[in-house]
Parts: sequence; C-alpha cells; structure tokens
Amino acid sequence: MNKNKHNRRFSILKFKEQNSVMDSDYKKWFQSGSPWIWLSAAGVSISLISVLGLLWLIASKGLSYFWPATIYQFEMNDLQGKSDTVIGEIYDRESIPVSQLAYSNIVFSPETKMVERILIKTGNRELVNLDFRWLLVPQIAKTTTPKNVAVIQRRTNGNFYGFIEKVILSGKEVDKSQLTELVERVDVFQEKIESLQKSDIGAINYQLDRLRLKKKKLKLSHVLMTTKLNSIDNEIAQLQSKYNNLEQNLMALRNQVTRDKIIVRTMSGNEITIPLDNVLTVSYANQLSLLDKIGVFIEKTGHFVSDDPREANTEGGVFPAIFGTVLMVLLMTVIVSPFGVIAAIYLHEYAGNNALTKMLRIAVINLAGVPSIVYGIFGLGFFVYMLGGSIDALFFPETLPSPTFGTPGVLWSAITLAILTLPVVIVSTEEGLARIPTSMRHGSLALGATKVETLWRIILPIASPAIMTGIILAIARAAGEVAPLMLVGVVKMAPTLPVDGNFPFLHLERKFMHLGFHIYDVGFQSPNVEAARPLVYATAFLLVTIIVSLNMSAVSIRNKLREKYRALEH
Amino acid sequence: MISITPRPLTSQQTIRDLTMLTPDQVALKIQNLNLSYGDKKVLHNISMLIPKGQVTAFIGPSGCGKSTLLRCINRMNDLIDHCYIDGEIIIHDQNIYSKHIDVAMLRRKIGMVFQRPNPFPKSIYENVIYGLRLVGEKNRRVLDEAVETSLKNAALWNEVKDRLHDSALGLSGGQQQRLVIARAIAVQPEVLLLDEPTSALDPISTLTIEELINDLKKQFTVVIVTHNMQQAARVSDQTAFMYMGDLIEYSDTNTLFTTPSKKKTEDYITGRYG
Repeated sequence: MNKNKHNRRFSILKFKEQNSVMDSDYKKWFQSGSPWIWLSAAGVSISLISVLGLLWLIASKGLSYFWPATIYQFEMNDLQGKSDTVIGEIYDRESIPVSQLAYSNIVFSPETKMVERILIKTGNRELVNLDFRWLLVPQIAKTTTPKNVAVIQRRTNGNFYGFIEKVILSGKEVDKSQLTELVERVDVFQEKIESLQKSDIGAINYQLDRLRLKKKKLKLSHVLMTTKLNSIDNEIAQLQSKYNNLEQNLMALRNQVTRDKIIVRTMSGNEITIPLDNVLTVSYANQLSLLDKIGVFIEKTGHFVSDDPREANTEGGVFPAIFGTVLMVLLMTVIVSPFGVIAAIYLHEYAGNNALTKMLRIAVINLAGVPSIVYGIFGLGFFVYMLGGSIDALFFPETLPSPTFGTPGVLWSAITLAILTLPVVIVSTEEGLARIPTSMRHGSLALGATKVETLWRIILPIASPAIMTGIILAIARAAGEVAPLMLVGVVKMAPTLPVDGNFPFLHLERKFMHLGFHIYDVGFQSPNVEAARPLVYATAFLLVTIIVSLNMSAVSIRNKLREKYRALEH
Repeated sequence: MISITPRPLTSQQTIRDLTMLTPDQVALKIQNLNLSYGDKKVLHNISMLIPKGQVTAFIGPSGCGKSTLLRCINRMNDLIDHCYIDGEIIIHDQNIYSKHIDVAMLRRKIGMVFQRPNPFPKSIYENVIYGLRLVGEKNRRVLDEAVETSLKNAALWNEVKDRLHDSALGLSGGQQQRLVIARAIAVQPEVLLLDEPTSALDPISTLTIEELINDLKKQFTVVIVTHNMQQAARVSDQTAFMYMGDLIEYSDTNTLFTTPSKKKTEDYITGRYG
C-alpha cells in the first residue's frame, strides 16, 4: 500500500518533470529570439516578393506590347451554319459560364458549364465598328497562320491586317517587292514634312507671334512711333513671304507623299485602297524568324520612347511625356534643394532652442502629411492665379487677356512639387547636421573661422550625404506625383516641348506632358481603352524605370560622398 | 618661485609676482576671472600670469574647472549657452572680453588642440592650410612652405610627406593629433592651448607628443591641461593646481611637486584623492 502510493507519487513527479522539459524547450526557443527572426524574415520576404511581383507584372504586360505577335486566321462556323473569317492577334483568353451567353441564342450541350473564349484584335478600324472581337472557341472551325498576311501599321486608324494585292506607283501597278523601298521613301518625306512644320514653320510662327505682341505693346504704351511700327510691319511682311515659300515646299512634299498606294484584301474579301502616306510599316509577322522578331522588338521600343503620341495618345510614343517628367523633376530639385538646406541650416544652427523653434519643426514635419491634391489647389490659387496673374499684369500686359504665366505651366508644377517635398529635404538635412560631431565645429572655430566659414567649409560638405538623401526622397516622391500636377500644369497633349530652338529656349510658362498623367489618360480617358491597355503597362514600366534611374544616379552621388566622410560616422 | 594664490589674493603677492616677471615676459594675464554655467559657479576669482615661451600646466581632479579655464583663454566658452564670464584676460594690454575684440582674430592668435584628434575630412595638406585659407592666402609657394614647416615642427613630416594629398582620416590617432597641432601652428599663433592632448592616445604616441611640446615652447607659449600628474611634471615649467573651481597653488613645477605649500596640493599629488 505504502509502496504503491510512493510509486504513484513518483510517476506524477516524473510526468511533471517531462511536462516541464517540454515547457522549457518551448520557452528556450522563444527566448532565443528565433520567432522574431522568422517573423522579420517573413516580413522582408513579403516586401521583396511584392516588389518583384509588381515589376514582373508591369514589365511582362508592358514589354509584350512591343513583341511582334503571330497573326491567326480563324474560320468561324456558328451553329446556324453561317461561316466567317477573322484575322487578328490573340489579345486575351478567358472562360465564362454558359449562362452568360443565354441572350445570344447559342445552344450548347447541357453538360457544358464553362465555355472558353478569346479576344481578337482585328484592326481595320474604319471597316468594323469594333476593332476587338470575342470568339467562342467551340465555334472556331479552323485556325491557321497564313504566311502572307501583312500587318500594316498606320498613322491613323491603327493597325490593318490583310493580304496585299497590288502596289501602285503613280497609277501603275508594280512588283510587290518594291513596297519596302516605297514605304521607306514615304518615311523620308514624312520626316522632312515634320521637321519643316515643326522647326521651320514653327519658328516663323513663333517670331510672328512675338512681333504681333511687340506691336501691341507699342500701341499699349500710347507712344505711337510710326517708324518703329513700320519696321515691325516690314519684318512681318518678310516673315510672311518666307512662310509662303515654306508652305509651297510643304505642299510639294505632301504631293510627293501621296503618290503611291496599295490595295489590300481584308478578311472578308473586300479590296481596300490605302495611300502610302498613311503607312508607317508593313511587316509579315508570320514570316519573321526569332532574330527578326528581336529586331522588331528593339525597333518598336525605340519608337515608343522617341516618338510623339498619335491617335489621342493610344498609339505612337511617349517622348514628350518622358521629357516633361524629367524636366519637371530636375527643375523641382533645383528649386527644393537650396530652400530646404537653407531652412534646415536656420532651424539647426541659428534659431534658438525654444518653443517657437519646436513648433516650427512640428509644422514642417506635419507639412509632409498634407495630401498632395491640397498642394495642387494651393499651387493653382497662389502660384498660378495670384503670382502668375501679377507677373502677367506687370510684364506681359500685351498678351492679355490670354495669360502667359497666369495659367498652369511647368514652372508652377515644379514649384508646387518643391513645396510638397520641402519637408523631406529639411528633415533629412537637419538630421545630417545634428550627426556632425561638435569637435569638427570647434576645430574650425578654434582656428579662427567664423560660424559662416565653418558652415561653408566644414559642416555643409560633411552633411552633403544627408542632403543627398533628402533630395533622393524628394525626387522619388515628386516623380510619381500626379494629382497636384493636373491642377498646375499637366495636359493630355502638349503641342510643343518646354525646351526648343526658339529664344529663350527654356519656356517655363508652357504646359507639359507627364508619364503619370499619361498612364491615367491612356488607361481611362482614351476612346479605345482596350487598345490602349498594353500601352498603360508599358508607360507604367517606363515611369518606374525613369524614377529608379533618377534615384540610382542620386544614390551613386551620395555613396561617393559617404565614402569620403565615412570615417566620421562613429 | 612664482606663486599666485587666489582668495584671499593679497596685493603683496601680486606685486611680488609682477616684479618677478617683466611685462614682456608675460604672455597673458588672467584677472579675477569668474565663470558660471547658469546658476552653477564653475570658476572662482582666478588670477594668474602665464609666462611667455614656457609650458604652463593645469592639473586637478575631474570637474575642477581646468578645461573651462583653458577654454576661456580663446573664448571657446562663448559657444556654450548660459555661460557667464566676468573678469579679465589681458593679452598685449587688451582685455579679450572687451566688446570690440574680433573673436576670430583672437582665436587665430591663440590656437587650440582638443582632447580627441579632430582632423577635418579633407587631405592632410588641406587640413594644415585650413587656417591660412581662411585669411585668404592663395600663393601656392607660401602654402607649400607652411605645410612643410608646420608638419616638421609637429614631427609629422617624415611620416606623411609622400601622401600629403591623402585623406587625413587615414592617419593613426597619434598622427592625427600631431596633424591637428601642425594645423594649429600653421597660422603662427602666439599661444597654444592643449586640452588633454594625449588622453585618447597610446603610450608611444603620448611620448612623441610630449617631446613635441618641449620643442614647441621654443616658438610658442604653451598652456596644457592634463589629468596626468607625471605628464605635467615631465613637460611643464609652471604648474597650477586647481580644485573645485579655485586656483589652489601655482608655482614652478619643481616646487609644486616637491614642496607644495598647500595641504590640498600635497594630498592631491600624493594620491590621497582625485
């Protein structure tokens, strides 16, 4: 009895011991910090995966736009016995429940629940009312990839898919092999026309406009100087005759361009005449080898970044938007850096350490949290209307009522974004100033330097990496900002770049195009959303690339500076 | 024997000292100097003469005010908020605390070396000529010459002459401290203040700097603060012992260390406290 009891007690003890061993194992694992290591590793992985996933998505969707797609010919056979031919690129593919198709009187066997359909880009916009078409896979009788189907990229109305029947050179039919030559010839002429229109005629128009304003200004000043007016009139007459000459040249070139045409057979068998001046490229996508395709890919990418947009931004390139984005960001950087640095120096070096300074600091930090659209409203009200309006009244009265600076423009955009990013620069510069060991200041002061000399020669160079960090953050924030820009300077389509060959070369009052806004515009405001979809991804990818490269160049400058002052960071 | 004892400062003692030193032997004269940080009084009525061309050491336990007194001499205390100074420090018959003194000019005449070496993140060459650049010296020959003589005087020339344009931050601690001394003497000051210049250095570098101090007194008046009594005994001609903001005893180094006249001094140098 006694022994038994003892045994029982022993076994309970043993059990408890075992339990506590397990307990302490768990505790040990917990105390070792491993759970936190796993947790933080998971956090890092999730961020990494989301960044890479985002890049992969926009890169793959965007870059596939430049890859020459295979052109398919589908023989359709619907259940009523009507047959049809569709030619085009496969754009998308999805499965839908049969019940969705109930309205269209299409009957499937009762056991089919889902049916696959594909979206085809058929082009030929002027012939069909929709250049995209859904095909139900069960209705496709036959799919082929005809070798001789041509993809004709056009200046207007998008792509054309069809078979080239005849090539006509000034009214006479010639061999099809001459087509490439003829297209190239047209290209050369079109380029000539463009440069004539843009630079030569553009310059004359610009000068004419300035003379007109000069004349108006003279009249406004109430000092009628007939000699001056006459000389202006003379100049205008000269420019006018130059203009007439150029216009004749232009007409001649236009005649040259419209000389040739091609006759193309569409998928429905109609024959269509396309004048060559509307043709950009002709390619036989199904005949291209891999190497050719890579060539086409590079060429198309090049055109995308260097051409102007066409067709309400749904075709062509985005060069003006790239240019506008980079110019605006650079202007913003030039404005924000000195202001931010000066403000930080004042706050840290000169302002007394009192309640007012603390309040200022809090105000600066809070400024960073103000929604960007609010800055846009502020920019529109204060900069554009008040400041710009006064500038117009003072310096450009001759152009009124049409405003010069009193309207949104690239300068106001840059200044608005500079104010938006000012807190970032101030905060990081101040942090940099605070990190500098006092022994540096004392060393300089003890050698007879004044406070300003110490600042210029010692403190600012050592703080430069921190200043660069602020600028990097400012660039990253400003380059992606769209909302305030819609109010203070961005437009869907700017006829001229803010920089051109006419004096004063940099036109800060002009409106500009911006990649961020371009994405929004193409994606949601364009007449042909489906066609523009890959362009949205391509533009988004380009925007990310540009922001990353702007950042990278700033980071590399900062790293060089850091290397120089590294030994000071204890 | 030079002996200035503050509080009560009898006129007799002062007169006796002034008669011992002719005016042109005096580098600077501290008179009734009081200093407080806010409400806290740090220096009480200090008066002393610092002779020209000699090494004067300030010793005393931590917090006794020796570094504060040193920083008064080139007005580095001006940089501290709520620091109130009253009294005079006279150089060339001018009180450096009078209103029309150009502080930058003053600091050019009274160079200072700090506890930790603080070379600027520039090349060795640029570090040495920093003070000359401030006064607008552009002549390359003058600058080159100044670099060479200063570095030679600071006993650093042989070690760095082949890499004058490398960053000063690549030097060792002892070399950096000598570079800082070279930088201070390049502007030809009259007085050189050394604030515990070897406290952050290893024994060998300390020895080099001590030898250097011996050479420097041929050209400059040197005032050194040290917490190391052996160092004071080795390098200085005069020693001042301070305690709790008072100047307890000030006499030539031999006397102070062998026959101190005050009980507190004796207690300190025999290691009873501090």
